[in-house]
Amino acid sequence: MKGSVVWTLILSDLHRHRTFILFSILSGGLALVLIQVGGELPSLLGTIWFFTGMIVLGCMLPGSNVINERKKQTLPFLMSLPMSISQFTAAKIVSTFGIFFVPWLTLVITAVAFIAGHKGIPHGIIPVVIVLSTFVFVGFGLNAGAALVTESEGVMVASMIVTNSSYGFGWYMLARNPAIGAGMKSPVIVWSKEILTVLGAEFAVIVLILGLTFYFQSRKRDFV
Amino acid sequence: MTELAIKFAGVGKQYRYFTLHNIHLEVPPGQIMGLIGPNGAGKSTTIRILMGLIHQDHGEVRVLDHRMPAEQVAAKWDIGFASEDMRLYDAMTLDWHMRFIRSIYPQWDPAYAQLLLKRFGLLAEQKIRGLSHGQRVKATLLLVLARRPRLLVLDEPTTGLDPVARHEILRELSAVMNDEGRSILFSSHNTQDVEQISDQITFIDRGRIIDSMDKEAYLDRWRRLRLEAPSGIELPALPGVINIRQTGRLAVATSNEFVPGIARAYEQSGARIQMIENMTLEEIFVAKVEHSREEVEA
Amino acid sequence: MESGVLISQSDKRPIYLQIIEQIKRRIAVEDWTEGQPIPSIRQLAVDLQVSVITVKRAYLELEREGVIVTQQGRGSRVASTPGLGLRLHQEELQQHLEQAVRLSALLGIKPTELESRLREAGANITEKETS
Repeated sequence: MKGSVVWTLILSDLHRHRTFILFSILSGGLALVLIQVGGELPSLLGTIWFFTGMIVLGCMLPGSNVINERKKQTLPFLMSLPMSISQFTAAKIVSTFGIFFVPWLTLVITAVAFIAGHKGIPHGIIPVVIVLSTFVFVGFGLNAGAALVTESEGVMVASMIVTNSSYGFGWYMLARNPAIGAGMKSPVIVWSKEILTVLGAEFAVIVLILGLTFYFQSRKRDFV
Repeated sequence: MTELAIKFAGVGKQYRYFTLHNIHLEVPPGQIMGLIGPNGAGKSTTIRILMGLIHQDHGEVRVLDHRMPAEQVAAKWDIGFASEDMRLYDAMTLDWHMRFIRSIYPQWDPAYAQLLLKRFGLLAEQKIRGLSHGQRVKATLLLVLARRPRLLVLDEPTTGLDPVARHEILRELSAVMNDEGRSILFSSHNTQDVEQISDQITFIDRGRIIDSMDKEAYLDRWRRLRLEAPSGIELPALPGVINIRQTGRLAVATSNEFVPGIARAYEQSGARIQMIENMTLEEIFVAKVEHSREEVEA
Repeated sequence: MESGVLISQSDKRPIYLQIIEQIKRRIAVEDWTEGQPIPSIRQLAVDLQVSVITVKRAYLELEREGVIVTQQGRGSRVASTPGLGLRLHQEELQQHLEQAVRLSALLGIKPTELESRLREAGANITEKETS
């Protein structure tokens, strides 16, 4: 009985964001279409658009699914449901990450499939695309964790500023690495030690963020 | 069922600028309790402690025989809560909310829900953001009423509503009383509503309960006496009279513990009684608060 | 069952008194006859949208005056005393008369003057009804 309240809440959050999810996927798809068109400028724009769409989703989501509950005053409605605060916070963590994960994964798989099928793009770029996409996931994770734990719009915005500023820096550092740079141009997929290290670090950070978020949320005693 | 629907014993909560002191409250099953008090008196805090949303600093809270806040999950299965600061999801329809609640609570009565839609004049397909204030309040109450919860906890259910909407809601709240096992606690600025349907009235001011009793007995204690005092007559100060206002030869005395002896005492002092009137809850409310404020200043 | 009782908000008197008066009137005009069941306390409370305690107070008072009878678990009914309707009519008249006396005392009108005023009022009514 009790488990289903949590599940209902997660599904309802997903349902409420269905336009979000659809829009993100379509936006990423259009970016890939632009790259398909070919030419240096469309490809560049398409690539930027592809990642920007993901970043924007990662920024809007914590606001829409977390901060808005307090801002739009829907929190009392949820608090009156038969669930404890730990069940509520758990549901919110799962739904927030879930709403991001669905389009994110779709876009990553679509991009990988797109590159694999495209004759003009070296397959060596696939690991880099995965790493860059996962980097956006890390950024989202930070924003979401900050929003969930502090429930402060100000802190969430500060987090977004930090993560958004870091993308450019991160990508630059990645491209500068000679092993990774070389792997990018290769016609086959190359999982170099360097790129695997970065990917591993990203996953570790995501797990850390999730763990810390669950931990801090579990310590909350009051709904208010 | 002999256990109380709601029991507060010695409940207190301290905030930086506000303290809730020593709250005692008892609501037997099958009764309606109306909570009144000025803004900032502590009504909403009391209600949130009742729902287990805030932890009291000390004292015992039992709702439907569940300890709060420890057993709030179990309690909330049988409680229907609606507060004035509560909003539904703007972008979703009323129907979406109905399905949401229905999927959680097995006691949802779809036939009654449809009846309420008709009675309240609501369209289920309409998005919440398209509803007027009154329609939104009714929609929120529909979601609570259709579950037929054992206890209804309502913070300002009729505030800001037009007379028709108010009447529609009072009708449904009264209908809850068909079932002896169901109870309601509601807070309201609308003293007329409280006066009309409450079995018990609790009066809160500045974090303390000032009165909590049977409504009929409470209303019966108060009278307004219209007196005619010929010039030169000094009207005596009587116990049970908290206020006398004299203009010229006419005076109005307010009594909060009326006994016929008071009327006799005035007549014996030479004054003539023109009328002894019952007071509305609103008049009592204002007289009470003004009197207690004066006492503090004195 | 239809109680036909209506609470007026403009009536300044307490609700329980209005309920008492209207139930007595129903019995007085023989809408409700001796021994007839009447709405239970809860039913009437829901119907009138007033608190149960108010209806209970009215019913207790009516029972005290021998107008109705309430049995635990069986609801309430009009008392089975014969001539109850007539008696209530008489009581109502008596109340009006006493009110008239009180009002005239306030106005400083003596009982003898009140008598002639009563005859005058009777003549007025006859005139209105025949014209």
